Amino acid sequence: MKNLKVDVTDLKKNFGDNHVLKGIDFKVAQNEVVVLIGPSGSGKSTLLRCLNRLEEPTSGKVIIDGNNISDSKTNIDQARENIGMVFQHFNLFNNLTVGQNVELAPVELGKMSKEEAVNAAKQLLSTVGLDDKYDAMPQSLSGGQKQRVAIARALAMNPDIMLFDEPTSALDPEMVGDVLTVMKDLAKKGMTMVVVTHEMGFAKEVADRVVFMADGKVMEEGKPEEVFDNPQNERTKTFLEKVINV
Amino acid sequence: MKKIIALISCMFGLFVFMNVYHEPQVDAAEKTYTIGTDVTFPPFVYANSNNKYVGIDMELIRSIAKEEGFKVDIKPIGFNAAVQSLSSGQIDGVIAGMTITDERREKFDFSTPYYKSGIVMAVAPKSDVKSLKDLKGKRVAVKTGTSGATYANSIKDRYGFKTVTFDDSDNVYNDVKNGNSAACFDDSAVLNYGVKTGLGLKVVTKPTDTGSYGFAVEKGKNKELMAKFNSGLKKLKANGQYDKIIKKYTGESATSSQKKANDKADSEGHTFIGLIKQNKSAILEGIFETIKLTVVSIICATIFGVLVGLLGVLPSKVARGASTTIIYIFRGLPLLVLALFIYNGVPSLTGSKVPAFIAGIITLTLNEGAYTAAFVKGGIAAVDPGQMEAARSLGLPFGRSMRKVILPQGIKIMIPSFINQFIITLKDTSILSIIGILELTQTGKIIIARNLEGFKIWTIIALIYLIIITVLTLLSKWVERRIND
Repeated sequence: MKNLKVDVTDLKKNFGDNHVLKGIDFKVAQNEVVVLIGPSGSGKSTLLRCLNRLEEPTSGKVIIDGNNISDSKTNIDQARENIGMVFQHFNLFNNLTVGQNVELAPVELGKMSKEEAVNAAKQLLSTVGLDDKYDAMPQSLSGGQKQRVAIARALAMNPDIMLFDEPTSALDPEMVGDVLTVMKDLAKKGMTMVVVTHEMGFAKEVADRVVFMADGKVMEEGKPEEVFDNPQNERTKTFLEKVINV
Repeated sequence: MKKIIALISCMFGLFVFMNVYHEPQVDAAEKTYTIGTDVTFPPFVYANSNNKYVGIDMELIRSIAKEEGFKVDIKPIGFNAAVQSLSSGQIDGVIAGMTITDERREKFDFSTPYYKSGIVMAVAPKSDVKSLKDLKGKRVAVKTGTSGATYANSIKDRYGFKTVTFDDSDNVYNDVKNGNSAACFDDSAVLNYGVKTGLGLKVVTKPTDTGSYGFAVEKGKNKELMAKFNSGLKKLKANGQYDKIIKKYTGESATSSQKKANDKADSEGHTFIGLIKQNKSAILEGIFETIKLTVVSIICATIFGVLVGLLGVLPSKVARGASTTIIYIFRGLPLLVLALFIYNGVPSLTGSKVPAFIAGIITLTLNEGAYTAAFVKGGIAAVDPGQMEAARSLGLPFGRSMRKVILPQGIKIMIPSFINQFIITLKDTSILSIIGILELTQTGKIIIARNLEGFKIWTIIALIYLIIITVLTLLSKWVERRIND
């Protein structure tokens, strides 16, 4: 793989006696969109959260853009500036307006002047279809709107890579489409993305590669049509039957 | 952040200052000695209607000071507190109708006796108790740490009575008057004076020959002061001034004029308005002291509490442990114990004085600050952890995520607790009366010691507290609205 953005080697993560990740090797190339699927408890979210060290790996190596994220000497704040993250529960800053949510990090971290940040925020909000919500408080938004603001907030730091942790799981069904559209646009523009999701349609349509995880291990990976239409692993087959037939 | 650092350094400065603040070296001729005395022990010590301390002891120490060329700073903090403050070096001497005993000689050096006294028993006017024998199975009221108490305890098994101890003489007398106790024991001069001036008790025994009153300093210390007292007393006795003072307070004319004064105060002072008028300046000073204590304590406790609370949410285990320990200790200690420990305990260990006001502020800062720290920690913990994760995932460092995202949300959660804590702090200032700070409660005690109007004065004091609390609450609510808007 050329231009490796993510390079994870033998990653293990334990929560006490619970071995959530049991030796993961995982790579993502530049401009690639990788979708992580698998039953709940398989370790997908934990893997994603190890990529920006929201979880401290127990052992193994996580290298993002040549930075060894798993090394405690690495300036993690600096590394995170280039890794955007979108959460299942949005986590918009409740004390700030929509605009301030987007502007906070670039201004605080000296990436932009206040003015530049305001312009950038308005620009980003308009790409996610929320230019009229600039002055709104997060509490007044619907789930789908909140998630789109969260995406705009992550993009404001101009990251090289975006991590999505079940971005549509907490949304009402009619809101899912708006958020997925924004993510598809982002993929088309060539953003490197790692997405944990249960939206198989999105995976089929947008993913360059699908990774199936179960029991803290990568069971199978490949192009979406390979994994979805011709799964090799028994666990993958059982999982897909359950998900797709519902 | 700079402001906080500046404030911390101020606090440190204060601590350092207090630690190096030993007795300043002043020219001996102008030296000021701090003398502790009782709140009320007429005719030796009591506040007259202008709230100025008078009596045999007061006139003696002032005359001697004048004679010998030094100054005195009189602290009417109560007998018990005065004795404790003397042993911890907080004050230089005590003159409070203190009987010279062997036990006291172990801790203090006494002057040549300046008054001969003995213990007598007083009972309510209609009481059947005529002698010690009649006390069998009854209760007797005494005042903490007095020789009256020592005497009563030494004979209680022989005569089969129980003792109950109070901190102030007026509580002792009231307990006998309202029939809770059958009798009280106190120095003859005091009780005889009280009876003559309309105390409403009668003395039924002859004075024991238990000894004499002396002026006391800490053992082996303040030799110069002791020498001056003794030589001054000798001079006063030689030039007749001593006899004048004694006569002024025990002679027939003195007691009858004091009785008249008491009766006069009685006739005009039975109304609430009358009592407030008579004690206006004392009450105002008490209110001012209480407000001063409250405001300074609230500021210091809030800063201390917020710092300790923030320490408790840092990623470092050491910091969190320190925060938990501080909260555990100072929330666990009763305020009263903490106040006495800082005011009397620490100085006897380190040998440096802590002024009562500063000791009070430190006490409240530590105690109220511990409570504040606990709810600051709780308020921060109540903010959804996803907020911190989102901030950190954008590359914001821990501190900035705290300041920009977590604290603004946490503070809103904490505001009701802050208001609550401010009100508790105001009420807790009353406990500092134990170390003799003349705040509202102590002022009330002193006024009652003089006029025995317990019910009315405490009603007035209670109402004043309610008014201050109402103002404080309204102020806090106003600030809360400003923050929430």
